[in-house]
Amino acid sequence: MSTPILLEAVGVEKRYDKFAALAGVDLRVRANTVHSVIGPNGAGKTTLFHMLTGTKTVSGGRIVFDGHDVTHEPDHRRVQRGMARSFQVTSLFLTLPVRENLRLAAQGTAPSHALNCWHAPVGARANADAVASVLARLGLERHADTPVGNLSHGQQRRLEVGMALAARPKAIFLDEPTSGMGIDDLDEMKRLIQGLKVEHTVVLIEHNMNIVMDISDTVTVMQLGRVLAEGLPHEIRSDDRVRSAYLGNMITGGKA
Amino acid sequence: MRKHFHLLLALAVVLVMPLVMHSGSLASEVLIFGLAAMGCNLLLGYTGLLSFGQGIFFGLGSYTIALTLTRWPLPMPLALAAAVAMGALGAAAVGWIAIRQRGTYFVMLTLAFAQMFYFMAYSFPRLTGGDNGLLDIPRPSIAVAGHTLWPLVSPWQYYGFVAAVFLVTFWFLQKASNSIFGRTLLAVRDNEERAGAIGYNLKLLKLQAFVISGAVTGLAGALHAMMTGIAPLSSAEYHTSEMILVMTVIGGTGNLLASLLGSAFYVLLGDWLSTLWPRWLLLLGVVLMVVSLGMQRGLWGLGETLWHLVRRKDRAAAAPAALGDKA
Amino acid sequence: MSIYLLQVINGIGIGMLYFLLAVGLSIVFGLLRFVNFAHGAFYLLGAYFCYQMTRWGLSFWLSLLVVPLVVGAVGWATEKLVLRHVYDKPHEFHILVTVGLALVVQELVIVQWGPLGENVPVPDLLQGVVMWGNFVYPKYRLFVIGFTAVLAVGLWYLLEGTRLGSAVRAGSESTEMVSLLGVNVFRIFSLVFALGAATAALAGVLAAPIRGAEPFMGIEALGVAFVIVVVGGLGSFTGALVGGLLIGIVQSVMSTLWPEGARLMIYVAMAAVLLLLPHGLLGRKG
Repeated sequence: MSTPILLEAVGVEKRYDKFAALAGVDLRVRANTVHSVIGPNGAGKTTLFHMLTGTKTVSGGRIVFDGHDVTHEPDHRRVQRGMARSFQVTSLFLTLPVRENLRLAAQGTAPSHALNCWHAPVGARANADAVASVLARLGLERHADTPVGNLSHGQQRRLEVGMALAARPKAIFLDEPTSGMGIDDLDEMKRLIQGLKVEHTVVLIEHNMNIVMDISDTVTVMQLGRVLAEGLPHEIRSDDRVRSAYLGNMITGGKA
Repeated sequence: MRKHFHLLLALAVVLVMPLVMHSGSLASEVLIFGLAAMGCNLLLGYTGLLSFGQGIFFGLGSYTIALTLTRWPLPMPLALAAAVAMGALGAAAVGWIAIRQRGTYFVMLTLAFAQMFYFMAYSFPRLTGGDNGLLDIPRPSIAVAGHTLWPLVSPWQYYGFVAAVFLVTFWFLQKASNSIFGRTLLAVRDNEERAGAIGYNLKLLKLQAFVISGAVTGLAGALHAMMTGIAPLSSAEYHTSEMILVMTVIGGTGNLLASLLGSAFYVLLGDWLSTLWPRWLLLLGVVLMVVSLGMQRGLWGLGETLWHLVRRKDRAAAAPAALGDKA
Repeated sequence: MSIYLLQVINGIGIGMLYFLLAVGLSIVFGLLRFVNFAHGAFYLLGAYFCYQMTRWGLSFWLSLLVVPLVVGAVGWATEKLVLRHVYDKPHEFHILVTVGLALVVQELVIVQWGPLGENVPVPDLLQGVVMWGNFVYPKYRLFVIGFTAVLAVGLWYLLEGTRLGSAVRAGSESTEMVSLLGVNVFRIFSLVFALGAATAALAGVLAAPIRGAEPFMGIEALGVAFVIVVVGGLGSFTGALVGGLLIGIVQSVMSTLWPEGARLMIYVAMAAVLLLLPHGLLGRKG
C-alpha cells in the first residue's frame, strides 16, 4: 500500500542571524500522495517550503529528492528535477496573458531553450499540449488570452496551481492555495488538488482544515520550527499536543 | 503580421529621410543612435535592466573601428565585425559582474563601470588617444579586388550603407525580441522571482541580453566613428550613456521601433534647437521628467493613445444609431 | 615630512568629504529604496551657491550655514512636488526622473554661471599652513577633516539617538509599520530627502575652496558617491564612513604612484570589493 518515498528532508535547519526559523525538521513524502503541512503562524511552514524547493538555501541538514541530493541546488535546477511550487502570495506575470504564463511555466523545464534568440515560440516550440491540458484542468480556457492582472482572485489562485502543473512535475508544492478564496472557489480548488495525486505528489501547506482533513493522506504538524506530530488525518485530529498547539478551534474546522 | 508591419515602417522611414532631410550625416545619426537606443531598449524594455553603461560599448565600438582601420588595417567589413565583437565582449564583462546584483545596486554598478571605462580610456592614450581621441578614421568604400562596388564618400552614400546595416540589424533584433528568448525576457521583467522559481537561469538570460545589447551598441559606435572620422573620448562619457537612455525612454520602451522615434526626436530636435539655444539639453531634462511622471510609454505610447482616441471618435460619429440601441 | 604620510592625511581629508557626499545617498536609499541620481546635482548647487555668496562679499562661514539649508529646502520641494508622484510607477522611473532633474540643474547652472567653472577662495582665517615641528599641512584641509568629523558624530547621534532617527531606521525596515504607529511617513520622506540634499550641498561647499566650482563636478561626484556606497554597503552609515576613508586614501596614495590612473583606481577598487563581497563591506542584503 505504501508508495516509495519521493522526497526526504533530514535535520533541515534555517537560521536568520540568531533566529532559528527551522530547528531540525525531518520529513518523508511518499509518491502519489497528498502530504499536508499544518501549524500555527510562525511555525516555519513556508520556510520549509523555501528549503525544499530551493527558493532559499538551508543552514543545515539534507534534502533528497527522487534519489538525488538536492540540498545545495538552486531553485531552477530543482525544477528540472521535477519540483514545482505555487506561492502563498500570488506571484504571476500580471502583464502577460494566462496562456503565456502557462507556456512560460511549461517551458521552464527546458530552460536552455529560453536562450534561443532566433525561433519564436510557435508550433512545436510552443508547449501547446501542456498549456491546453492545464487550461482545461483549471477551467480557464475562456480566459486564455486575458492578462492575468485582470483575473479575479480565485482565478489567479487557480492559475498559481496551474503554473506548477504546467511544468509536469513529479512533486507539486502548494503554499496555501486557497488563501483569500470565497466559498464557491474553494470546492473547485479542493477537487483540483484531489485530482492531482494520480499523476503527481502533492505537498500542501493549508490553514483550511476542512480541506486538509478531507483530502490528505498524511498530515505533518509543525510548531516553532520543529515537527510536532505526524500521521493520518484522524490521528492528528485527536492528538492532544496538536490541539493545545492550536488552542482548540482550528482542528475541528471552524474556519472556512 | 505586426512584426512585418514594423519592418515595413522602418523601411519607409529609411526611404523617406533622404527626401525630407538636407543632411546625410544627420539622417545617418538618426539611424545610428536608433540602433544604440534599440540596444538599450532590449535591456530596459524587455529585460527590465536600467543600464547607464551603454557608453562603454559605444566607445568600445568607436575605438575598435578606429584601431582596426588605421593601425592594423583590416578590410572594413572585418573591422566592423571586430567592433561588434568588442562591444559584445565588453558587455559580457560588465554584465557578468553587474548582473550579480539586482535592482538599484545593478544600476549604480553600470554607472560606476561607465566611469571606470572613461578613466581607462583617459589613462591609456597610446591606445585611445586620451583626451584627443583617435583621429583620421578612414571610410573605406566597399571594394572587391580593387573595384569599388559601393563608394561611401559622400554623406548620402554613407547613409545608404548605414541604412542597409540598420535594416539588417533591426531585422535581427526583431527576430530576437519575438523569439523564445525575447518572450522569456519579458517574463523576467514582469516578475523576476517567479521566472527563477519556474526554472529559468536568470543570470544567463540577462547576460545574453547584455551581450546582444553590447554588440548592437558597439556597431552603432563604429558606424558613428566612421561617419565623423573621429573616436572621441566623449563617446565614453557619462553624457553618451545618459543620452542613449534618454532617447530610449522618450521614444518608449514598449517596442523596438519606438527607439527609432526616440533617436529621431533627440537628433532632430538637437540639431534644430542647438543653434537657437545652446542649453537645449535643459528642455530634454524636462521632457525626461515629464515622461517619467506622466507618459511612461513615451512618444510611441502617446501616439498610440491619440490613434485610439481618433478611431473611437470616428466610430462614434459613424454609428450614432447603435448607441440608441443600447439604451 | 614623509610623502606617504602626507598622502594618507590628504586621503583622510578627501575620504571625509567623500563620506559626507555618500552618507546622504545611503540614508535616502535606506528609507526611500531608490538611488537619487540628482545627488550630484545637490553637491553641484552647494559649490556654486557658495561661490555666489563669496561673490556677493558674504563670508564663507555664512555660506557653510546657509547653503545646506537652502539646498535642503530644494530637496524638500523636490520630494514633495516631483518624487511623490513617481513612487507608484515602475522603479526605473524613480531613477529616471532624478536623472532628468540632474540634467536640468546642470544646464541651469551653466545658464547662470557659464560653462567654464570658477575659483572659490579659501576663507582668510584658514589660509596658509599649520607648522608643528616636522608636520606641515594646509590649514583649510585640516579644518575640513575636523569639521566633517564633528558632523559625522552629529549625524550619528541624529540617526541613533533621536526619535526622528528611530523613525527613519524603522521606516527603512517597514514603511507600513511606521505609518500604522502614527508617524507621518511622507513627512519623514521629505525630511530625509532634504537631509540628503543638505549633506551633499555641504560637501560641495567644503570642496569648493579646494577644487573650485565647475558644472560637470556633479557627475563625477555621483560616480564617486556610488563607488563609496557600493564599497561600504548601501544603507549603512558606518559603511559610508569606512568606504569614504578607504577610497579617499586609495585615491590619494595612487596619485603619487600613478597620477593619471588615480581616479581609475577607485573604480578598480570598487570592482575588487564587489567580486569578494557582493553587498559591500558593511551592507545588508536587499
